[in-house]
Amino acid sequence: MTDDVTLMRSVHDMWEALDPVPVDLADRVLFTLALEDMEFELMRLSESLAPIGARGPETAATMTFAAESLTVMVTVSDAGPSQRRIDGWIAPGAALRVELRTARGVQETVADADGRFAFAALPAGLMQLMIHPTAGAALPLHRPVATPPVQL
Amino acid sequence: MTSTTSGDTGLAVPSWELAAREFAAWRAGDPAALDRLVRVLTPVLWHVVRAYGLDRESAEDVVQTTWLALVRNVESVRDPRAVMRWATTTARREAWRISRAGRREDVAEPETLDTALPPVDGPDSAVLAADTARMLWRHFAALPERCRRLLRVIAFDDRPDYATLSTELGVPVGSIGPTRGRCLDKLRGRLAADPDWSGRRD
Repeated sequence: MTDDVTLMRSVHDMWEALDPVPVDLADRVLFTLALEDMEFELMRLSESLAPIGARGPETAATMTFAAESLTVMVTVSDAGPSQRRIDGWIAPGAALRVELRTARGVQETVADADGRFAFAALPAGLMQLMIHPTAGAALPLHRPVATPPVQL
Repeated sequence: MTSTTSGDTGLAVPSWELAAREFAAWRAGDPAALDRLVRVLTPVLWHVVRAYGLDRESAEDVVQTTWLALVRNVESVRDPRAVMRWATTTARREAWRISRAGRREDVAEPETLDTALPPVDGPDSAVLAADTARMLWRHFAALPERCRRLLRVIAFDDRPDYATLSTELGVPVGSIGPTRGRCLDKLRGRLAADPDWSGRRD
């Protein structure tokens, strides 16, 4: 007969084999925890479309993130060897300040009145977007909203 | 992770103790300890959250949210030895809330899980582990949902908070221990009747 400890060990190993933790989940958690200011709302990934033409020249993936007051749709595409481009669309449309973090540093832009923004020439790896309350924008935010980190 | 998981297994240092050590070091000013704490506890949180039937994306959200909650409310963890329980309880509460709000899938679908297994031409040990996992899964899947959830939670968190667990499983606090025993007995009984299982190990 298998004792409780051995059996629980088998159940443990079974789940590790059947449903492994995503390999980069801890890295993504640490990427978020590295933010200096913890006062923000973390968005949920509400939809993710698989890359089109994976590994081909037209590789593109679309993700939608949702916060209480807004959603942001992000399309990631290839822009040359190991370079990525991001096209984003905030809804409802508003000229909000958008910050993008990668391992290489922070970039900033301001969305147009329709909520569209873009970042070009990004390195592969983790990136995180943070949308900030912005004076004069059509959408008042109480605090910044951040996407969970995603792999470019 | 396999060697550092659970006091229940009698192997290495239990996760809660590792977590306590790193949490205390981080609080004492060692920033690298947070990195190690996250690497020790994230797999535990993942399995605990997935036990509630959340899809992978929702489960990742809950894990991220749990870590943010811990860093934001770090003062509320007064005893480092309680950090793992704090984190798993927070994660389970959130997973339970979301699973009841309807954003879930039934992850206990063998077909779904089969596709997640490593390819058969992987390293020998991986193939062996996958075969064993598949064999065990056939019997595990036949257990009542309550057993499946309880055993998965306890397999990764051998010191769960019984009060919240009792609400979520719909059993009195005093019944969790006996329920766990009955669930294990059911599983053991099924395995004992499977010649493939007894033939492959021990």
